[in-house]
Amino acid sequence: MTTPEQDQEFVTLVSGDGFEFILPRSTACISKTLRMMFDPLSKFSEALTGRCVLENISGEVLEKVCEYLCYNEKNKDQVNVPDMEIPPELCLELLMAADYLDV
Amino acid sequence: MAMRARQRIRAPRRGLTANKGDDFETNWADLSTSLKKIHTKDASNLSFEQLYRNSYNIVLMMRGEDLYERIKKLEQDWLDDEVKTRVTAAISSSLLLAKELAEVQDQANERREAGERFLAAMREAFEDHQLCMGMITDVLMYMDRVMSTDHRKPSIYAAAMALFRDHVLRSPIRSDAKTTVVDVLESTILFMIQLERSGQIIDRPLISHCVTMLEGLYETITEEESSKLYLTLFEPAFLDASKRFYQAEGRRLLETGDAATFCKVATDRLAEETERCMYTLASSTAPKIKEVLDRELIENNIAEVVNLEGTGVRQMLDNDRLDSLRSIYVLSARVDPKKTPLTTAVQKRIVEMGKEINAGAVELAQTPAEPKKPADKGEKAKKPAEKEKPVNQQTAAAIKWVDDILGLKKKFDNIWEDSFQSDHVMQSAITTSFSEFINSESRSSEYLSLFFDENLKKGIKGKTETEVDSLLDNGITLLRYVKDKDMFEAYYKKHLSRRLLMKRSVSMDAERQMISKMKLEVGNQFTQRLEAMFKDMTISEDLTASYKEHAKKTGDPNTKRIDLDINVLTSTMWPMEIMASATRDNVQLGCIYPKEVESVKQSFEQYYLGKHSGRKLSWQPTMGTADIRLEFPRSNGKIQRHELNVSTYAMVILLLFNDVPTGEFLTYTDIKERTRITDHDLIRNLQALAVAQKTRVLRKEPMSRDVKPTDKFFFNNDFQSPFLKVRIGVVSGSANKVESQDQRKETEKKMSEERGASIEAAIVRIMKQRKSLTHSKLMTEVLSQLSARFVPDVNMIKKRIESLIDREYLERVEEDPPTYGYVA
Repeated sequence: MTTPEQDQEFVTLVSGDGFEFILPRSTACISKTLRMMFDPLSKFSEALTGRCVLENISGEVLEKVCEYLCYNEKNKDQVNVPDMEIPPELCLELLMAADYLDV
Repeated sequence: MAMRARQRIRAPRRGLTANKGDDFETNWADLSTSLKKIHTKDASNLSFEQLYRNSYNIVLMMRGEDLYERIKKLEQDWLDDEVKTRVTAAISSSLLLAKELAEVQDQANERREAGERFLAAMREAFEDHQLCMGMITDVLMYMDRVMSTDHRKPSIYAAAMALFRDHVLRSPIRSDAKTTVVDVLESTILFMIQLERSGQIIDRPLISHCVTMLEGLYETITEEESSKLYLTLFEPAFLDASKRFYQAEGRRLLETGDAATFCKVATDRLAEETERCMYTLASSTAPKIKEVLDRELIENNIAEVVNLEGTGVRQMLDNDRLDSLRSIYVLSARVDPKKTPLTTAVQKRIVEMGKEINAGAVELAQTPAEPKKPADKGEKAKKPAEKEKPVNQQTAAAIKWVDDILGLKKKFDNIWEDSFQSDHVMQSAITTSFSEFINSESRSSEYLSLFFDENLKKGIKGKTETEVDSLLDNGITLLRYVKDKDMFEAYYKKHLSRRLLMKRSVSMDAERQMISKMKLEVGNQFTQRLEAMFKDMTISEDLTASYKEHAKKTGDPNTKRIDLDINVLTSTMWPMEIMASATRDNVQLGCIYPKEVESVKQSFEQYYLGKHSGRKLSWQPTMGTADIRLEFPRSNGKIQRHELNVSTYAMVILLLFNDVPTGEFLTYTDIKERTRITDHDLIRNLQALAVAQKTRVLRKEPMSRDVKPTDKFFFNNDFQSPFLKVRIGVVSGSANKVESQDQRKETEKKMSEERGASIEAAIVRIMKQRKSLTHSKLMTEVLSQLSARFVPDVNMIKKRIESLIDREYLERVEEDPPTYGYVA
């Protein structure tokens, strides 16, 4: 995991409409898709640059996704955590994003 | 959670994405070019996200299955066109040629290089494939998720691996050849291993990689553990080849005919194969190849190795080759927990060596047997000095026998501890062999007892306590092997009684120690009588002291009175036969004691019977000794004094001469009439007094060796001795020695009588308890009860049962099966 190029603590997620989100690598890797994408053993451009453009996810949704990833990371070892707040209008889009990112 | 959510909302999404359906071909075109780029290792400017989105879209369009099939096709084409050509290109003709002529030496190097090239190509192809498929699978993850869950298809990765197997490994190397790539691979690896076995260095990691490849491929698409290609294809071939190799190796080693080398090679091979499995092949093969080795190399050959002429176990034992023995033991232990060939060989050798010792003892006993025979006669002809030597030699033979056995035992104990890792099976085998040969020597009990006797008499002088301890312990160890313990007891009793009565024992402590050791070893019952003997000795001491006290009190005025030391022995506890031999043919006539002695004797009898009523004292003059002071008036008027230590009988005889005036004589018959000593004892004592040169207190006419009834005896006034105190030994009974044939027969007869009694007692004991019992059960019970003491003869038991039935202790209850009942 630690060749100099890929030795990045953080990765950048870019939404379809250009918003950038910078997350710790471990947090991003909760998503299976993202994990494979950034897997340093694969030689794709994402893995080399640490930057990923998610064309079909809007900034609004991606923000919520990142919030969830952080929320998940924070509470991963705990029980009885409070539910995360999800605005109903984003619900469907979020579900699609979740399916896409495999979280 | 995510998975469930997806399932539920699919319906609305399908509607949303349906409008993109016409994009399938574009998406696929994109994808397929990218995949090809991946294969050509040109992925760095591809976007994972893009590819992922492509496949995602296709799956959403419900064209997942098409995608799956197309990718499979793509992979197949790729493998067929590119990979296969590369791999087959690496197969050189020498590789194929040598397959048929595997042993041709000059081609070996060439073949080896070709093999290495091929393996390297193979490895590269597989690793590339693995890597690319990894990437492709990552990209197609979304498709995989849907396909494998919804359509129960194997993951694209597994499918691609199967493709690799079918289209690369299973493809014929040339269009017309039947040999497939995997065959070549297999034979090449085997060839490499063979090279390594014959001592060359090969590229282990390379082979290891190829093996890993085989391990990573499966026979079926479901990828069960047991269907690994490695297990189904390569391993059997490898084991088979190894089997053949080790069969040949075993034969070759046997032909060289050196057991030690064999062991060394076998041990090395074992280590080598283990290492090979660790570093080159799969570790799961290790137990299997070891099994092959065990069976082919060791098990099939170990018996022959053990018995190899000139270098086998026998020579190892003889030359104390502990290392070789250890390795041969380790090898045998691998294949057979009983280690049969090894144990038999060791046992055989022990018995052989034991027999040698037995033979040595017999020989040593025989050599003096010739001088001994005349010496026996010489005994009568008054030459005890000459007799002394052969007797000692006999005893020496016995002691040498014991020493030799102890030496042998020590040697094998050493070997057992050092080489056989203190293995129990080996121990019991060794024990069995020892007891076998010890018991095959019929005189073992006697020899052993003699050994103790010798040591207790003089052997332990000047030794420390620990030395004595270990010496006795050694003896006891041998006693453990002796089956006829009652025989040993009889001899030991006899020897002990002599030691006690003649005060020959060096240390009473050692004697007691010995008894307690025996008690530990063979039990209470065994030592009971021996202990009783010691008790008698102590009681007798007290008795003598108190009698002296008593005599003083009664105030015997006679100043010339005789001191009396007495040993009162309980007749059942002591081996009476050594004392009672005199009374057998001359029933209880008793000897006439001179009046001085007689009075003392009577006084003691009175005293003793006064103390213990209802007992009977019988005197045993054969066992006693007397100190007497003699005055020899010389012709020149001087008087020479000597103190003589003589046997009781000799004392009686000499006292007769008190009343004989100088110059007069007594004939043999005179002496006999006046003393009533039996012929046997009389002759012996007269021999001691008148024939033995140094102790000629009496003069005999005519001078001859034999004592005849007509001989005349004079008191020898010219008796000369440089010592004031002279000990006149009675010929027999002074030393413990090996029995003569007659004595042996005697002892054996007594023994069998005693055994008969023991058997009867055991039978009655058992039957009293059980009331009725079948014959066979009774037999086993009797055998088990008596086995601690001796091994009874079955016929003897039968006879005893018969006799008990005759005497109406038992009755026959049933005929079939024969059952006996106890008659109360």
